[in-house]
This record gives sequence, structure tokens and C-alpha cells, in this order.
Amino acid sequence: MTNAVTVSFPAQTQYVSLARTMAAAMAVRADLPIDQLEDLRLAVDEAAAQLVLDAVVGSEMRCVFVEALGSLRIEVRGMTTSGVVPATNTFGWTVLTALVDDVTASVESGEVCLTLHVKRHEPVSA
Amino acid sequence: MTSVDTSPPGDERWGDEQRARERELLDTLSTSGEGSATFTAARDELITMHLPLVHHIARRYRDRGENYDDLVQVGTIGLISAIDRFEIERGLEFSTFATPTIVGEIKRHFRDRTTTIRLPRRLQELRGPIYTATEDLTGELHRSPTVREIADRVGVSPEDVLEVLEAQAAYSAKSLDDDGDEERGGVASTLGFEDPGMEEVEYRESLRPLLDKLPERERQIIMMRFFKNMSQSEIAEQVGISQMHVSRLLARALGELREGLTAD
Repeated sequence: MTNAVTVSFPAQTQYVSLARTMAAAMAVRADLPIDQLEDLRLAVDEAAAQLVLDAVVGSEMRCVFVEALGSLRIEVRGMTTSGVVPATNTFGWTVLTALVDDVTASVESGEVCLTLHVKRHEPVSA
Repeated sequence: MTSVDTSPPGDERWGDEQRARERELLDTLSTSGEGSATFTAARDELITMHLPLVHHIARRYRDRGENYDDLVQVGTIGLISAIDRFEIERGLEFSTFATPTIVGEIKRHFRDRTTTIRLPRRLQELRGPIYTATEDLTGELHRSPTVREIADRVGVSPEDVLEVLEAQAAYSAKSLDDDGDEERGGVASTLGFEDPGMEEVEYRESLRPLLDKLPERERQIIMMRFFKNMSQSEIAEQVGISQMHVSRLLARALGELREGLTAD
């Protein structure tokens, strides 16, 4: 069973904290250890910041959180002026890849989408 | 000089034997190759030897609402950085040299704290127990605990734990010139910028000067996390601070770097 939660907010820096808070709350639901939780918070912050910096003025961003057993997929979506996927040879990208298990970037119907995958690294007893 | 008591404050039992040993270890550090087994052993022994000094200084700050263990941890960072920067040729007593650095780290810790979110008193009071539970569980489980596990141990809701953790993380990007120069240098060589991972990064030209501006420990943590791919818990263990503290420093350092990278 999966559950998706979507948050949308104006593509401006001061709203990025909402995405961060939401990411942490979802990490609790997915029962991630707190070091992964904190990494995820940073990753969502970074992904959202990357899109916000280049966001189309007046546009909205969306974060979609999909929780499955012991794992979490987060899509950070927004319209950017360049409309292309971010370069992968940047420090920002290095940060993203280090913080989560997998990151992919795509462009879907004009929106840039960064998808982050996190899996619980170690089994947690019930 | 022989009549002067050079015992670290807080430990009056230092005899000539220990003082001689300290000298010997400092000599070893200055002569043996960094990273060699002799070097590491001498460094470790010096650290252990001066922990009473750190405790002594930390005690002076214990009544200011900070967790005592955290103060000892950050003080120990100061101690380590003093050991790494100590130049035996200058003829200073080590404890004289190390004290300001230890005090500096502890004060810095207080400055960090004041920028974080103000918690309601009820949650403020949970900080200590949550911190202790996290450390205990990390030891017991040999991994970082989940929020639920911490909540169960403390007997509060996961939401409360999360709120406290969130308040711990200082996300507000602070200005780069906030930190005194006294914290830089020394250890820089232990984690130079020649790490292989960095060559891949296009930003390296602009990133380097920014990394240079970060306080030593934050730069070190950034390198460990992003270029050596160590987990927050592994970094915590290696640096000798709590994982919560690692996460707080990471968040702050990233904020500063991002601000710097996008500034031009």
C-alpha cells in the first residue's frame, strides 16, 4: 500500500521550510532513523532551493511524498526559467546524491522534477 | 619555570611524571608523520590526558541551559584543534595554549544555540532526555534510532521528538564573517581539498574559497559527508560530537555555501 501527500507552495525561498518540515514528518511515518531523517531534510531543502533559484516568477512548487514500507519517494516539482534538468556536475547535485539513495531529474510537461528516493538502511524492530 | 604549576586547571594531581609525558607526546607529534600509528597514538593519549581540563571548563558553563555532555563534546573539539595547532617550538605551556581554544568552542556553541528556534518550555525540558535517549539507543542498536524509538524511550509522542529535533537544526543561514579566525587553520591539512570526489565538481573553483571561509569543523564535516560519503552517525563518532550536532552543523554549513555560491 502506498500513500501520497502533496504540498504546494509559492516558489519562493521563505516557503522552502514547509517542504523541509513535511519531509521530516514523512520520514517519521516511514520510520527512518534520525540520521537519514536529517539527511532527507537537507536533501529536500537542497532540491527545493535549486528549483526556487531558477523558478518562473509567480509559479508554484509542489512536493509529492510517497510513502511505502520503509522507504520514501519525494518529487520536488516546479517551473523553471531554463526548463531543463539541473546539471549533475555541481556541488548541489553532489550534495543530493550523497544525502539520499537515488536522485533523478526529469522534465515533464514543462515542469522540472527532482525525484529523491530514500530507503531505510537498516531493519528496525517493530 | 619549574616552580610554576602547569597542571591543567581542574586536575591538581598532575605530577612531574605527567608533565614529562605530555612533553614527550607533544614532541612525538611534531616529529612523527601525521597519520602514522605513532602520531595517532600520541594524539589520542594527549586528548585523553587533557579531558579533565575540558570538563573543568565545561563545568563553568553548565548552568546556562545547555546539556553538559554537549559542552564537553564541543570543548573536546577545541582541545583536539589545539593539539593539532600546537607548535612546540614556541615554548608555550600546552594547557595555556589550549584553554582559549576550548573556551572559544564552548562559547561558539552557545552562539549557535541562540540562533535556533525558541522552544516552548515543555519541549525545552525534553531536550536533555531526548539527547540522552538518542545517544543511549545509538549505542544499544549500533545505528541511529528512529524518532519512534526515541519517543518510546522518553515516553513522549513522536511529534514532540520531531519538534525538538527540528529546533536543534539551525537552518538560518548566518553570515560568513561571524566566526573568529581563531578556529581556523591547523586541522585543515588533515582533510585537504585534494579529495578525489571534488575534482568532479564543476564548482570547485568557486566552492573552494567558500569552504575556506567555513569554520574548520564545518568544512571537515562537509568533506566527510559529501566527499567521503560518511553517514552523519559515522562522522559523529569520528569527530566526537553527537549526530544531532553533526546535522546542525551540516545544515548551517550548507546554508552558508549555498548563499555564497548564489551570491555572484
